[in-house]
Amino acid sequence: MEDSPILTEQLTKRYGSTTALDSLDLEIEQGEVFGYLGPNGAGKSTTLALLLGLIRPTSGQARIFGLDAWRDAPAIHRRVAYVPSEANLWPSLTGAEALRFLGTVHGSVDGAYRDELLGRFELTPDKKIRAYSHGNRQKVLLIAAFASRADLLLLDEPTSGLDPLMERVFQACVREARDRGQTVLLSSHILSEVDAVCDRVAMLRGGRIIETGRLDVLRGLAALHVHAQLGGPVPDLAGLPGVTNVVVDGEAVECDVVGSIQPLLRVLTGAGVEHLTTREPSLEELFLSHYGAGHGATGSGR
Amino acid sequence: MADDAGGGGADVAVGRRAFRQVGRGAAAWAVVFGGTAAASALTYVTSFPTLASRQELAVTTSSASGLGALLGPIAAVDTVGGYTVYKSFVFLTTIGAIWAVLASTRLLRGEEDTGRWQLVLAGDTRPARATAATLAGLGAAIGLIFCGTTAILALVGRNPDLGFGVGESVLYGLSIAIAPLVFAGVGAVTSQLGRTRRLATGLGIGVFGVMFALRMIADSSAHTQWLRWLTPFGWTELVRPFTANDPWPLLPAGVVTIALCVTAGILASRRDAGDGVLASRDVSDLRPFGLGSPSGLAARLELPLLGAWCGGAAVAAFALGIVAKLTTAKVPGSLGDTLENFGVKGSFADQFFGVAFLLVATLVALLPAGQIGAAFEEETSGRLVHLLARPTHRARLLGGRLALAAAGILAAGLLAGPAAWLGARTQGVELDLGRMLQAGLNVVPTALIALGIGAVTLSVAPRAAVKAVYGVVIGSLLVDLLASMVSGLTWMGHVSLFHYLALAPAQDPEARTVAVTIAVALALCVLATILFGRRDVRSK
Repeated sequence: MEDSPILTEQLTKRYGSTTALDSLDLEIEQGEVFGYLGPNGAGKSTTLALLLGLIRPTSGQARIFGLDAWRDAPAIHRRVAYVPSEANLWPSLTGAEALRFLGTVHGSVDGAYRDELLGRFELTPDKKIRAYSHGNRQKVLLIAAFASRADLLLLDEPTSGLDPLMERVFQACVREARDRGQTVLLSSHILSEVDAVCDRVAMLRGGRIIETGRLDVLRGLAALHVHAQLGGPVPDLAGLPGVTNVVVDGEAVECDVVGSIQPLLRVLTGAGVEHLTTREPSLEELFLSHYGAGHGATGSGR
Repeated sequence: MADDAGGGGADVAVGRRAFRQVGRGAAAWAVVFGGTAAASALTYVTSFPTLASRQELAVTTSSASGLGALLGPIAAVDTVGGYTVYKSFVFLTTIGAIWAVLASTRLLRGEEDTGRWQLVLAGDTRPARATAATLAGLGAAIGLIFCGTTAILALVGRNPDLGFGVGESVLYGLSIAIAPLVFAGVGAVTSQLGRTRRLATGLGIGVFGVMFALRMIADSSAHTQWLRWLTPFGWTELVRPFTANDPWPLLPAGVVTIALCVTAGILASRRDAGDGVLASRDVSDLRPFGLGSPSGLAARLELPLLGAWCGGAAVAAFALGIVAKLTTAKVPGSLGDTLENFGVKGSFADQFFGVAFLLVATLVALLPAGQIGAAFEEETSGRLVHLLARPTHRARLLGGRLALAAAGILAAGLLAGPAAWLGARTQGVELDLGRMLQAGLNVVPTALIALGIGAVTLSVAPRAAVKAVYGVVIGSLLVDLLASMVSGLTWMGHVSLFHYLALAPAQDPEARTVAVTIAVALALCVLATILFGRRDVRSK
């Protein structure tokens, strides 16, 4: 059986007294698109640098396809493509030259797919990097990564400079990669993007994972938002188990429910409910529930 | 309510920031400049305590126009002041000019390269005003050099044996400030011309080379002395503090500095932010050269800089060859004794080139600074990550860069000897090509040591790597000169890189010393690649 694309055990990185990543245990399966979420400084980029063997772990270990991320970095990188958040390339090279160079150094490139991606991302390859906008420089790196057909794509906030149309192209490319059996680790601030393409997510705060799992499961564990229109006065809902954030507006009521909805339904039915809607939390609401007021990042990560 | 800094508040902040960026370096140079001049003066009164010994020195050097071309003006060396100016002229003006070009292009084009300049321009300022404010900050730093040099010299000058007046010390300080002032202006203009910091710096260093060569030609014979009025180094020379005390050459220096700064401001206001006056194409067909490997790309990107260094070494050697005729034609018998302080023997032409190639060796030994700097910049810019996130061995990556720098050093060494030979031959001086080739190649091992030191520093303390190369090379040169001038300080020479450099062609390189030097350099480079493989990579 093939080793996991990514497996970390107690992976820790400290800079002096600052802990950038704290005992990270993470396993990502082949063919999975994994969302990696967290506020600035939570340790997302540190994680990717550790997975790439750019920095040495203080303790613990990271294994990529069963190999040690630090010791076996060059061997691992034959199967990995990486897109950093800062699209700094060689200013005097053209886009085509940068793609040729990056492809050559990687050792594998699907030329036909690269040419197709050039068209889909609407990139003019004969312009020099210094003349590109930030978004266009990101396109060069994205095209190089996708065209490598690498088994594992490590993407660190790769779309911050892309317009909405290109964002859709990017999401389509991620789905195509997954369909081909490639694994994707997507570190992102764009929750709609993660919502659209990721199978599982992990939420990081202060260098530690605070939540991980399938998005639908996470939503199930989170509060369900309920809106009810009654035929009379709203009864007192405050004492019901799992019910919070009750807002009454005349004969209408809104609230959040964690756990079983049965007690609430019984009370509302007794009060003559005329119309009832429920909504699962969006990823943004999940995110805010973890990182909202009083739950911000510690700022220890890099 | 937000504080309103008012008109000009942003410019003051820009100027202060510029000063903070270069002020510390300027303070260090002020100490070095003042200390060097003071040491020269004190050395003189110790080494030549009597009037007779001073007059003998004056006779020895009076007709040595070749030496003047090499080391600077020879005038009134039978006085403490005249000797002090003569001894420290070439090094202080060279260091001052190069520092100013580097500082100016860093503060202007360097900031623009990183995008920080655009942030500044988004504030309450305009390009011309921000440029002027930055130059004011740099000017204040140069003022620090002037004040420090003057203060140290005035303090030491109170020694009755020296007898420097405060006014004379001020004039000396001003003469030393000419080169940094003018070349700060040069760097300001080239920062508007070139679209990258590298190009701006290259253009500035090119102007420095031309001005320096002009000064050498001006000092090589009585017929060419008028050329001194065409170069900042000539203006410094013409002031002749402590002897002639002529302030008039300060006038063209001031006028040219102001003109350059005004030109820079006008150019800044007429171009787009991020762009340069010199046109460069943004569209190009695919050029496959260098795209096959990281080392290939490094070669492609670094060739212009390496070519410039090699060309600079060849031009310097060629110029030394040209002035050799004047030296050999007019040499008095006793001048050889002066050069023998460096430990060189043989014909005077050989002795001359033996010492002259110390300058070439310095130039070639500074070549690694550019390559180490490029490696550091690749890492801090985040571009190194693109390579290391692909199947590239770290040791091979750094090794490729070091090999490229070593090839550049070898090329510079190979070119220098024949260039000096050719320069001398154009003036009818016959030299042995084989010996000159050997003299050129002789500078290579020392430069490789500088490369090794820079590489090891890059692997353990990247930010200090370029400074380490400059520090080791310039420090070695100063120590070597001091040790050769003062008999009591001979022991100091052992810590200089150049102590282990035979002054060919006047000395035959020892095979064992050369082999050990190369082995040490190789060991340092290997150590650097090992250490580089074990440390965290910096990225944005």
